[in-house]
Amino acid sequence: MSPVMENLTIPATERSPAVEFDFAAGRLSLKGESYPEDASAVYGPIFQALEAFLATATERTVRFDFEMIYFNSSSAKALMNMFLRLDRAAAAGVTVVVNWVSAADDETMREFGEDFSEDLDHLTFNLVESAGAD
Amino acid sequence: MLAKDYRSFKRALDDRGIIFSFSGYLSEGILYSLGDALRQKMAIEDTDVTTIKKVFSVFIEQAQNIIRYSAEKVQGGTGGGRAVELSSGMVSIGQEGGRTFIVCGNTVLAEDVAKLRARLEKLRDMDRDAIKAYYKEQLREPPEEDSRGATIGLIEIARRASEPIAFDFEPLDNGKSFFCLKVLI
Repeated sequence: MSPVMENLTIPATERSPAVEFDFAAGRLSLKGESYPEDASAVYGPIFQALEAFLATATERTVRFDFEMIYFNSSSAKALMNMFLRLDRAAAAGVTVVVNWVSAADDETMREFGEDFSEDLDHLTFNLVESAGAD
Repeated sequence: MLAKDYRSFKRALDDRGIIFSFSGYLSEGILYSLGDALRQKMAIEDTDVTTIKKVFSVFIEQAQNIIRYSAEKVQGGTGGGRAVELSSGMVSIGQEGGRTFIVCGNTVLAEDVAKLRARLEKLRDMDRDAIKAYYKEQLREPPEEDSRGATIGLIEIARRASEPIAFDFEPLDNGKSFFCLKVLI
């Protein structure tokens, strides 16, 4: 059947997030900053991995943790695109849990989480407070 | 003469309350360094997290707009075989009546003025809720073919502003226009 997928690990750079995609565990995490020169170069590979993973993930529970400090508008679009894809997967029977983590005093990131979640009908979107600012 | 000249140049910036100012060819590397210095400066001054994020966000969107859309660019190899493109413009951050402002300026092609002006007028005339709704609508749109994301970038800028965005265009002799956008946080 499907070959074992290799986990996707991309270290953070100054302007792009750390990515950990553990296919066996069904967990993806994105952490850090995101304002790259070319958002599609950063999010294209993540989205492809996500597509490949979801193609084999029917009737599974998957968890996605987002802990972003800052992202620019083109990254916001890429994130929304991922959430819409996850919402379609959830509609098709995958149990999808998204944890959107932001610092307690960070209104901007929390509001982004609210914006994203309002248009998603099938997945579970949790707004989670982290311990606070660094 | 030299000191007098440059002191008056510096004072012209100081008189406008400008804390940081960059004018010239902007690269993504310069954007990163300026942004980092800006965040550090605000953190040292104990600026609250939300304000830091707003200022930083407007700065990044404005600087990336210059890099992408300035009509004044130089392209070429650097010797290492890597092609580079640098875009000319200016971006300044300052304080005015206890609030922070970010101004950017760059040249734009004459044929792009009407479209850009229409986008900015639309945003200027929207209230906070309308801007938020517009942002959410654009978030779901597929990337625009010709504008490489300018619409959502401008909405993000308008969203962080505490009062309507101010902008202006000045026609230049070479058929281009100088475009300026000022945002008060």
